[in-house]
Amino acid sequence: MTALLVLILRVALAIALYAFLGRILFTLWQDLKQQGEFLSSQKKPGIHIHAVLENGKDIQQRFVQSEVTIGRDPNCDFPVIDEAVSAHHVRISYHHSQWWLEDLNSTNGTFMGKIQVTVPTVLITSDQFKCGGTTFTILVDMVDEKLLQ
Amino acid sequence: MNKITQSRLLQITAVFLFLQSLIITLSPAARARTWDVEYRFLQWIALGVWGLLVARAHYDITRKLPDADPYLFPAAALISGWGLLTIWRLDTNFGVRQTGSFFISMVVLIAGTRLLTIDFLRRYKYILLTCGMFLVTLTLIFGTNPSGSGPRLWLGYRDLYLQPSEPLKFLLVVFLAAYLADKLPSRLRTIHILYPTIILSGIVILLLIIQRDLGTASIFTALYTIIIYLATGRKRILLAAFFLMAFVGVAGYYFVGIVQARVDSWLNPWNDPSGSSYQIIQSLIAIANGGIVGRGPGLGDPGFIPVALSDFIFAAIAEETGLFGTFGLLAIIGLIITRGLRVALRASDLFRRILAAGITAYFGVQTILIVGGNLRLLPLTGVTLPFVSYGGSSLLTSFIALFVLIHISNHLDIDPAPLPKPQPYLALGAFLSLGLFACALTNGWWSVVRGADLLTRSDNQRRMIEEQFVSRGLILDSTNSIINDNHGKIGSFSRNYKYVDLAPVTGYTDPIYGQAGLEATLDDYLRGIKGNPTSTLWWSNLLYGMNPEGLNVRLSIDLYLQNRTDEMLVGKRGAVVLLNAKTGEILVMASHPTFNPNHFDESGTKLITDPNKPLINRATLGQYPAGSIMQPFIDALYGDESVNDNVLINVFKTFGFYQAPQIQLPVAPALSQDDIDTMRVSPLQMALASAALSNHGVIPAPRIAMAVNTPVEGWVSLPELGKPIEAIQAQAGDDAASSYLVENQTYWRHSGQAQEGESSFTWFIGGTPPNFQATPLAIVVLLEENNLRLAQRIGEELLVDAMHP
Repeated sequence: MTALLVLILRVALAIALYAFLGRILFTLWQDLKQQGEFLSSQKKPGIHIHAVLENGKDIQQRFVQSEVTIGRDPNCDFPVIDEAVSAHHVRISYHHSQWWLEDLNSTNGTFMGKIQVTVPTVLITSDQFKCGGTTFTILVDMVDEKLLQ
Repeated sequence: MNKITQSRLLQITAVFLFLQSLIITLSPAARARTWDVEYRFLQWIALGVWGLLVARAHYDITRKLPDADPYLFPAAALISGWGLLTIWRLDTNFGVRQTGSFFISMVVLIAGTRLLTIDFLRRYKYILLTCGMFLVTLTLIFGTNPSGSGPRLWLGYRDLYLQPSEPLKFLLVVFLAAYLADKLPSRLRTIHILYPTIILSGIVILLLIIQRDLGTASIFTALYTIIIYLATGRKRILLAAFFLMAFVGVAGYYFVGIVQARVDSWLNPWNDPSGSSYQIIQSLIAIANGGIVGRGPGLGDPGFIPVALSDFIFAAIAEETGLFGTFGLLAIIGLIITRGLRVALRASDLFRRILAAGITAYFGVQTILIVGGNLRLLPLTGVTLPFVSYGGSSLLTSFIALFVLIHISNHLDIDPAPLPKPQPYLALGAFLSLGLFACALTNGWWSVVRGADLLTRSDNQRRMIEEQFVSRGLILDSTNSIINDNHGKIGSFSRNYKYVDLAPVTGYTDPIYGQAGLEATLDDYLRGIKGNPTSTLWWSNLLYGMNPEGLNVRLSIDLYLQNRTDEMLVGKRGAVVLLNAKTGEILVMASHPTFNPNHFDESGTKLITDPNKPLINRATLGQYPAGSIMQPFIDALYGDESVNDNVLINVFKTFGFYQAPQIQLPVAPALSQDDIDTMRVSPLQMALASAALSNHGVIPAPRIAMAVNTPVEGWVSLPELGKPIEAIQAQAGDDAASSYLVENQTYWRHSGQAQEGESSFTWFIGGTPPNFQATPLAIVVLLEENNLRLAQRIGEELLVDAMHP
């Protein structure tokens, strides 16, 4: 009888010990879940690209994905028909809460004003850059600050 | 968020410790199986102190360090509370002292939360290390040992002791972290940066080696190597340290006695279980006794492990909480290690990163070293299990180190300091996790796979404790009269030998002198291990950690005839065996002089050295020259042929004298057939041979333990061990017996004498005639003197008595 009571308490003791460990696993998992949800809920602003070709023809398109490639290759997200533009010329990507412009070792280079783009450069609304004979103008969507964190 | 997590975890911890304390309170009742006992309340003091201090520390940590890691403090609080209760349960005096140490540790931690920064550690690194080394140096001159003997590693003032090598571990980590964080960014070559650290650490390690504190010295070496590897990321350092350690280890093995003893007792513990390997084997037995579920707090016997309070506290915990408990304990230490490494990786600067990683390594390495030592995974080193073991210096240092870790975790940057090489940190994490995992596996090996072997070892003192708590089965005679039963009640059972003169046969069971005779050979039944259903065994072991009540065993002995025999043998040296010639059931087995096992405590040593050898069962173990008693057997086999050595050898062979009888008693070993001059016969062998003459030439298989009373099937007969042997033709046996018949009597008999040096022996054999209608009987009387008349009188009276019950 006494031993039975103690046995029940011993079982409860083991449960308490593993409840401690279980509770830790649970909170760690919750942390993970929260982080995942937070990352997926992070809103990135869309980007609007306006290109003016040498012949005066202009194309424009809005993107919501986080990476846009520009080049002569029709498989690019934003293909342009310009002999001076390389097949994969530049990449525009969103990270660290910014849109970044990155030259992909193009033949003729990419220029912002007079300066050649050699390292990834932050893009903001109304920035212009030039690939070959084509001029691109960027418009970044306005996003609610709260969602951006 | 952190505050809620931490407070939830502490609540669960409080429930865990409350239950543990409650079980310790009730444990005497569970042991004695009654409510009427003295309960244990003292450990509640420790729990109260623990509760107040932990609550206060929790309040201060969450208020002053709101972003601190919420897992570190509850984990340390849980295992330190667990250690505290275990120490109280083992020894209340040491419990009081440890509670004091816990109080000081917590006060330091609570005061620490008021610190805004720990940068002073970095600034005063040289002063801190020098102070630490100074204190250790002081122990060379003023060192004492609280227990009075052994290495003098402590500084004492009245009743307070400090072991300076404990804080020095932490101070070395601080120094290395601060120094490396200062120097590494400079463009000096790594080797130039390392020179001063090698010299300083070398001095520290040398100091410890001089003091023979080899466990701590190896921890320092490991910590130094790990920290340098973390900071520089060079694998060569690991290799160099490995070869250095191997070299020092081998050199130490050949030149330092204690290293050799430790390593030898690690590699071959079974060679010297009562000497140098005593500790480790008692530790393994305790771990095996814990098994999977453990005996329950307060219900094991960890007191049998030497230094269970500090070095072997893991084994004590394993015995009382089993694999369930130790896996949880190792998981919690693993948690502290992973969280510690996370703090290190996300620390805001290099100093904090190396410091956090160094502290984590300190917890991890020390845990693996001592837990591995307890489990014989590593050689034994006398270091403490951080937070758990008894020892104020160790507890205080652990909590200061933990506090620094918590403090660093409060200032984790979103942008941690750049990390050129993550591999060393990941390697450290993998190394420590693997170490803990190996400990868990080894623990399972001893608890489950090797558990049964360890528990049946004769140096498992728990078996004798069990004897006092579980009533042993009775030994009964053929009419169920009691031969041996028990005195006392649960907790104080002792064996009561009611029919004392049978002691050389039934033997004894004694906490000091062990077991002998039937008490030894029938131990499994008397102890309840055999004969009980598996479920009963399992349940009894789960509830009490002991086997169920022992089962009663019935012998073939007839106490009336036995008593008659013993009366006639009083004051003589000799033996009598009377058996049923057909079934081999032994009705009388007497060996004189006898002894009184009820007074074994006082007379044990004297009995062992008594020249009359009362402890020996002469009937089975005594070996005597046969002499002229062989005549009936020669007649049965050869008729009237003349006797020579070959004839004798053949007679001995035919009547089984070259074979040890198979029976539940220790018997004399079989003799070789080569030398007829040294031929000896035991009375039991002679009785079996005589039985062949009364049983148409067949030697029966001897039996003494007849049946066991099982709870499920009632009396179950025990099988005979040997088989009957057709020794000679039935007619030859009958003829031989008939030629020795006594006129007007219904028995045959023959007596003979043998001489050996100064000693003479008298034999008497006899039995029922071949055509006897009732139970056929055979008897042997042996006297260690020349007394034909007495041998004859005993033999004949007994035969007549046995034939006419």
